[in-house]
Amino acid sequence: MMGYFTMMFLYFDPGLGAMLVQAIVAAAAGIVLFSKNFMYKVKSFFGLTKSQKDGIDTIDYEQDEKQPNEEQGS
Amino acid sequence: MKSKAHRHPASFRDPSGYIVNEGSSIKRVINPIYFPVYDALCKEDFFTPLFKAKLLIPHLEQERTDESIVLLPEQIQLVTYPYEWSFHQYKQAALLTLKLQNYALDRDFSLKDASAYNVTYHRGRPVFIDTLSFDFYQKDSPWRAYKQFISHFFAPLVLAHYHGAEALKMMQTHIDGIPVALAASMLPKRTKLSPTLYTNIHLMAKMEAKHNDEYKPKSREIKLSKKGLRNLLRSLYDYIDKLELKEQTEWGDYYNKTNYQPEAFNFKKEQIQKWITGGGLRRVLDIGGNDGTFARVLLKDLDLAVVADIDHTAVDLNFAQVQTNKEVNMLPLWFDVAQPSPGIGWSNNERDSILKRLSAWGPQAVLALAVIHHMTLSGNIPFEDSARFFADLTSVLVIEFPKRHDSWVDSLLQRKREFINHFDHYNQEEFEQAYKAYFTIEEKVEIPGSHRVLYLMKTRE
Repeated sequence: MMGYFTMMFLYFDPGLGAMLVQAIVAAAAGIVLFSKNFMYKVKSFFGLTKSQKDGIDTIDYEQDEKQPNEEQGS
Repeated sequence: MKSKAHRHPASFRDPSGYIVNEGSSIKRVINPIYFPVYDALCKEDFFTPLFKAKLLIPHLEQERTDESIVLLPEQIQLVTYPYEWSFHQYKQAALLTLKLQNYALDRDFSLKDASAYNVTYHRGRPVFIDTLSFDFYQKDSPWRAYKQFISHFFAPLVLAHYHGAEALKMMQTHIDGIPVALAASMLPKRTKLSPTLYTNIHLMAKMEAKHNDEYKPKSREIKLSKKGLRNLLRSLYDYIDKLELKEQTEWGDYYNKTNYQPEAFNFKKEQIQKWITGGGLRRVLDIGGNDGTFARVLLKDLDLAVVADIDHTAVDLNFAQVQTNKEVNMLPLWFDVAQPSPGIGWSNNERDSILKRLSAWGPQAVLALAVIHHMTLSGNIPFEDSARFFADLTSVLVIEFPKRHDSWVDSLLQRKREFINHFDHYNQEEFEQAYKAYFTIEEKVEIPGSHRVLYLMKTRE
C-alpha cells in the first residue's frame, strides 16, 4: 500500500496553493449555498419556485435513445 | 503480460496503467500498483450504475494475471478533444466530471485527476473514458485534482463566458489546462466581487504564486471535511450549470439567409440521400456541415455522421439538436478546415491531430457542400491542394461547386478588390481539371434555381 501512495504522489503536482485554498473556497461555497437555499425556502413559502432541475446528485438511468440500425464499434 | 510496444502515445502519465492498441481494438492494461483500488471498486459494484447511466465507458475484464489486468472498453469511433467542442459540449463534460467526483465521494472514492481529456463524446453524450482515474478517498483530505479541474474546465468556460467561445481554443496551446494566473489576469476586475470566481480563480492564483517555491509538501497536513468538499463541488456545479455565452446566437435562421429556394434545397437533400444512402455508405464526414441539416437527412442510415464546422454557433446549435433528439450517431465537431487541430503534447503525438484521428476512423464519404468557394476564395487554397486533401480522407466525395454567378461567390470575389483578377481560376473548368487528378467524376447535376453544381466523385485507383 505504501508503494501505491508514493506512486500516486509522483503522478502530478496538485499544487500546494491549490490544496490550501480549498478550505476557503469550500467555506465561501457553503455560504453561497446556504443563502441560495434560504432564498429558495423564502420563495417557496410565497409559492414562487420553479421545479428543481438536474443537479449534481442526479444520475439518470433511464435514457430513451433513438437506436440506429445496430451500431458497431469500429 | 502485454507488451508495452503498442502502448498508446498518450498513455504514459499515470502509473496505474496504460492503453494499448491491439489490432482494431483499444484495451486498457492495469498495473499491479492499481490492483487494490480496482478490486475495491469492483467489490463495491462502483462501475455498474455508471455504465447504466452512460457516464463511464463500459468495459469487460478480459484477462487477469499477477502482472496485469486487461480491460476491453466499449470502442469509441472517433475521440474528440476539448478544443474541438462547442461551449455546451464543453460545459456538459465539466458537469459530468463533477457528477462523477460527487458519486465517487459517496462511496469513499475520489477522482485523482480531472483532465478534460478524460472525457470525450460518444453516442451523443459526454462519457468519462479514463477508468483508472478513481482512487481511495482519504478522510478529510482536499481534492488533489481540484487545480486540474479549474485549469481544464472552470477557467476555459469562464473565459469563454467573458471573451467568447474562441477562448476554449486556448486549450490547444495549453495541454495541462489554462494556468490559473493567466485566467485571473484575463478576467474583468469586477469578477473579484463574485464569491465563486474570487475564490476559485483570483484567490487560487494568489495562493499558487505565494506557495510556488515552497517545496515541502509533507511538512503540513491540509484538511478539508467531506462536507466542505461537497459544498465546493456543488457550488462549482451550480455555477457552471448556469454559465452561458454572452454572444448572440442568431444562426437559427441561417438557411433562410442563404440563396436557396425551397426547390433547390429539397433537390440537394434528395440527391445526397440517393448517393450516400443509396450507396450504402455509413460513416460520413460533413465538412462545413453547419448545424447538421444535411447530415440529419441521412442520419437514420448511418453509423456515425461527424459534422465539422468553423462556426461555433452552428456547432453548438447542432449539439443542442443532438441533445433534444437524443441522437446517438451524430457528432458535432468544431473544426477549421484551413487550420485543423495539430498533434500536441509530448513528441507531438500525445494528442493526435484531428486529420490523423479522422483518417483512422475512415469516413466512407465526405460531404463538402457549399464550402469550396470559402476554401478557395477566403482561404486561397488552390484546387489541387483541396482535391488532394479530400482524396487523403475518403474515397467518395460529394462536393458542391457554386459558380461565379452565385451571390456568395460574387461577394467573396468583390472583397478581393484590385486582386480580383488573381482569382480568374475560380471556375468550373479549372475546378474539374484539378479534381480529375485525384478523382473520377461519377455524376454531376445542376441544382435547379441556383448557380450551383453538385458532384459525385470517387478517388482514382
